[in-house]
This record gives sequence, structure tokens and C-alpha cells, in this order.
Amino acid sequence: MAATMTQKILARVSGRATVRHGEIIWAVPDLVTAPEVSFGAYVKRIREIGVTKLARPERVAVIIDHEVPVHSAAGAERNKLTRQLAQELSVGHFFDGEGITHPLMVERGLVQPGMFAAGADSHAPGLGAVGALSVPFGFEVAMMLATGQIWMQVPETIRVRLHGACPAGVAARDIVLAVMQQLDDEATSYRVIEYQGEGLASLSVPERMTICGLCVDAGAKSGIATSDQRCVDYLHSLGIPDAQLLSSDADAEFAMTIDLDLARLTPRVSIPPSPNHVREAQAMADITIQHAYIGSCASGSIEDLRAAASILRGRKVHAGVNLLVIPATQRVFQQALQEGLLTELTQAGATISPSTCGPCFGGIAQLRAGERRISTSTRNDPGRMGSHEAEIFLASAMTVAASAIAGHIADPRQFAVGPDDRSAA
Amino acid sequence: MITSSGRAWKFSSDISSDQLISARHVFEFDPRMLRHHLLADVRPEFAQQAQPGDVLVAGRNFSHGSNHSHPFLAMKALGVGLLCRSLSRGPFRLAIFMGVPLLMVNSEVLDAIEDGQQLDINFSLGSIVNVTTGQQMQVAPLAPFLQEIVDAGGGLEYVKSTLMS
Repeated sequence: MAATMTQKILARVSGRATVRHGEIIWAVPDLVTAPEVSFGAYVKRIREIGVTKLARPERVAVIIDHEVPVHSAAGAERNKLTRQLAQELSVGHFFDGEGITHPLMVERGLVQPGMFAAGADSHAPGLGAVGALSVPFGFEVAMMLATGQIWMQVPETIRVRLHGACPAGVAARDIVLAVMQQLDDEATSYRVIEYQGEGLASLSVPERMTICGLCVDAGAKSGIATSDQRCVDYLHSLGIPDAQLLSSDADAEFAMTIDLDLARLTPRVSIPPSPNHVREAQAMADITIQHAYIGSCASGSIEDLRAAASILRGRKVHAGVNLLVIPATQRVFQQALQEGLLTELTQAGATISPSTCGPCFGGIAQLRAGERRISTSTRNDPGRMGSHEAEIFLASAMTVAASAIAGHIADPRQFAVGPDDRSAA
Repeated sequence: MITSSGRAWKFSSDISSDQLISARHVFEFDPRMLRHHLLADVRPEFAQQAQPGDVLVAGRNFSHGSNHSHPFLAMKALGVGLLCRSLSRGPFRLAIFMGVPLLMVNSEVLDAIEDGQQLDINFSLGSIVNVTTGQQMQVAPLAPFLQEIVDAGGGLEYVKSTLMS
């Protein structure tokens, strides 16, 4: 039977030859991730029902990433408990302040094409970048810790075929925002968005993390990208020799198909109150900003930092703007140091902070009433970064960098260099 | 059999998880604390006045956005159920996992319920009676497997009953 990537993955992890759309299965995740935010709460809950050990601890990754460095007594206590529980319960993978969960799982080679990953955190679908089905479950992770399995309804797939490559100044963020413009919550509900097509080869794995991770903000169950040669080469470079190609069968059943010509895309911005309220960046020059942020699980990669530096190099952040840059992981931080990117960004006026989710949920760098931030993070709900009367706009690292220079939302194409120049940088 | 009898608290479409409980409470998992924060920024009197048996009545896309468990921990603690036209997969699962009784309803049912009216609901059968107006309505209940989890009181209680049986 012809199958989508999602069907192939769910068939394997439920011990079946095939699975049909809409049927309920019991699946055994290959990887379960939980941040310090909730891991202790899950363990407390399963202990209440008499569970004393994890069903498959070797498949569990626990990550301290939301409050790094810790800056509250409650956070310090939570981290202490998290470290203690991770050891007591013999979890397979423990990361303490080494980066944000989703990019960390990819860069450490813990996720591969064909895997089924379950995450406590909303933006778990970023792992779809390497051809894995990665689904957010929130508190249901407690169920997986206790039993090693979870019920799933096999989702339909929306196929997004990418053609060509983005022009200078246009980035992966603009691709997923263009997808959101074509799909409302009723179209995406209980479905997976799958990226495929020859245009996918123009995107690096971190760029694929952006387009997959933000599928949850389009209302979808997850996002996944074909594991093509570029993906497999990337994984080989991480020391995963057995990473495989994986794609949907051409005659698999898709709920919808969208064709996107990347060459025709333009820089876009999500306006409040929701990521799927999308506008053209070039039409928003009247929106002044006081804060800019480049980072998060979806946009804190080395490519994002290179893209930001390509705009900010030799320029200055506007006097009325505070630009914060957070590399998504310690390894990205180190790479950016080696490439001189952090020197260039700080010379332009940026502040650099250690790898953390911090600003995305108002943990640090809060906004006050009347302030605006343009950000590469994932959500712009009112109150997300502090005051309910502050406004958050979401865009690519290039659009954020251009806006930080201009003091208002700006189209980065006026600053952007060509792709050839960028790769030479 | 899960039934409820109480007041309707009616809300619009597109109530996000952040509106249900602000992301600043993301580190809080104690339901006894979270119940005080539910809808605090949208309708501050709700958390003080809601009684067990009351129901949230909402339109499309309930609890969209971040896949936060907090709103459903709070609803469970308050003992309130949910009628809505749609909710995406993440919050749908979390509601069931927390054992929050819910029914998906169409726009005719939504139009027949005003804020403050009294509702008698049988979630297991999908029957809704607007006691204030006398109107009786019928919608499809959850699939039996999902209803079993809600009946057990949530995912972990369901697991506990299967592990121990």
C-alpha cells in the first residue's frame, strides 16, 4: 500500500505493516524529550499512580534549557530536582544548559530519518527537519515515561512541494509564513505538513527546522521534510553513517497539495495576535520597534546568525533599538565565535546571551506596555513576552536585523547580499 | 457515565492557550494554583465564580497556539467541562488526557446557548439540555476509546486501571 512518510513511521513504531488514516494505534516513541520546565512535574505525577521507574529510560532526553543561567530561587530548586531525578531514573540523555532542546537533539545526532520522537515542548516538530515524525504531547509525556507508549490517531498529510530557491533577502521563515497564508486551522487540524520537492534541496537542515518547527503554529500536528541527499549528507557529517533517505510514496494519499515557487517569495512578518496573521514586510515601515531578538529553537542556528551578520556587518543597530541575539546551542555559539560572527554582531550593537529559550515565553528580556519587538521566535500571543499591551512581530533573522538597523519594520532586501556572497562570508 | 449540571461560560472563537493561562505561569504545574489563573486576563471573575459542573462554551480553534497542558490541569481542578466547535489536535488530546469532559458541537448548538444559562449535559451520550430555555440537543459523543479515558478520569488513571487489572 502506498504510504506517506508519517504512515511509514507510525507503522514501524506500532509494529504494523501498514496504518490507515484516522485509525488509533499504540506507538512506541524512539525518543522522548522533556525540558526542566515539566520533567519534575511528570515524575511527581507518575509516582502518584505508583510508577517508580521509567519504562524505557534509555530513550528519554531531559534538557535544562528554559531558564539558563538560572535567575530565580524557584528555578534553582527546579534545576536541582531535575538533575537529581535524571540521575535517579537513569535517563539516557541529560543536557544541562547546552542549548535549546530541538536543535540540540538534531546536532547531537539523537534523531534520524524514520524515527518517531515525542516531545513535551510545543515546538518538537522541528525534528521533522531530518525526516523524523516529531510530535508535541505536553503532559502526556508522563504517560510515555510510565509506559513507553502512547495512543495516536494516524494523521493525514498536507503535501507542500517546494520549487526553486529563495531570492536574496528571503529566508526559510518566509516559506512557512507563506504556507500559513494558505492554510487555516480547519485545514491543518490533526494533519501533518510535509515538505518535499526539488526546492527542498536549497534548504539546509537548520532551515528545515524553521519550516517544520513552525508547523505547530499553523495548527498542524507536526511538520516533516523528505530525508533527501542533503539531509543524509548532513547526518553523515554528524557521524551517523546509517542515516537513510526517506520520502512519501508518489501515489500516497494526501489531504491537500500546495505548490510553492520559492523564487517568487517575499519577506513576511507575523503580526499580533497570532503567528498566522501574516503581512508583507515591505508594507510595514510605519511600525516602529524598540526591541529586536534573534534566537529560539526555530531560528537560532548558525545560518540565522550568518544571515543576521550579513545584514548587520559594518552597520549599527538604531539608537532606539535593543537587539538581543541568542545562539540556539552552545555549539552554535562556539561556531559563531570561530567565524567572527559574534564580534560583528556586537560591533553592530547586539547583546549576546547564553543559549536558552528565555525570551520566547517572557522568561528574560520582558517587554512593557506600549513597546514592540520584532523577533525570530515562535509565538506572538499578547502577554507572551511580558505586558499584554506590548506587541510582538515575528520574522526571519534577516528581516529582524534590517528592522533593528532601521528602527522600524524593514524589508531586508534593501540590505541583503546575494546567496553567493553569503556563502563566501 | 459522565454528566454535568451547571452554568455556561461562553467565549468567542480563537481563545489561545496563552489567553486561557498566561505563559508566565509556564513553570507552574500545581492544579490548585493553576485554577486561579484560568482565563484571568480575559474574564477575571471566571476563576472565582466557576463551580464544578459548569462548562466553557467556545467557538472554533479552542486553546490554539502553544501546546500547554496548564489550561486543562486548571479545568480539571475546577471541575468544568468543555463544549466547543473545534480544537486542534494538541489541546484535544490534552483535554482527554486530563480527563476534562468535552463535546464537539456545531454552530446551531452554540447559537442555542447564551452565557449564564444552565446546562445539563451527558457527555457519554452527547446529550445537552439547555435548562434555561428547555431546548434539548444531541451531538456525537467522543469515540468509545477516548470516552473510556475520560471516564477513567484521564490518561494516567486509565493506565493505572489497565496496569493493575
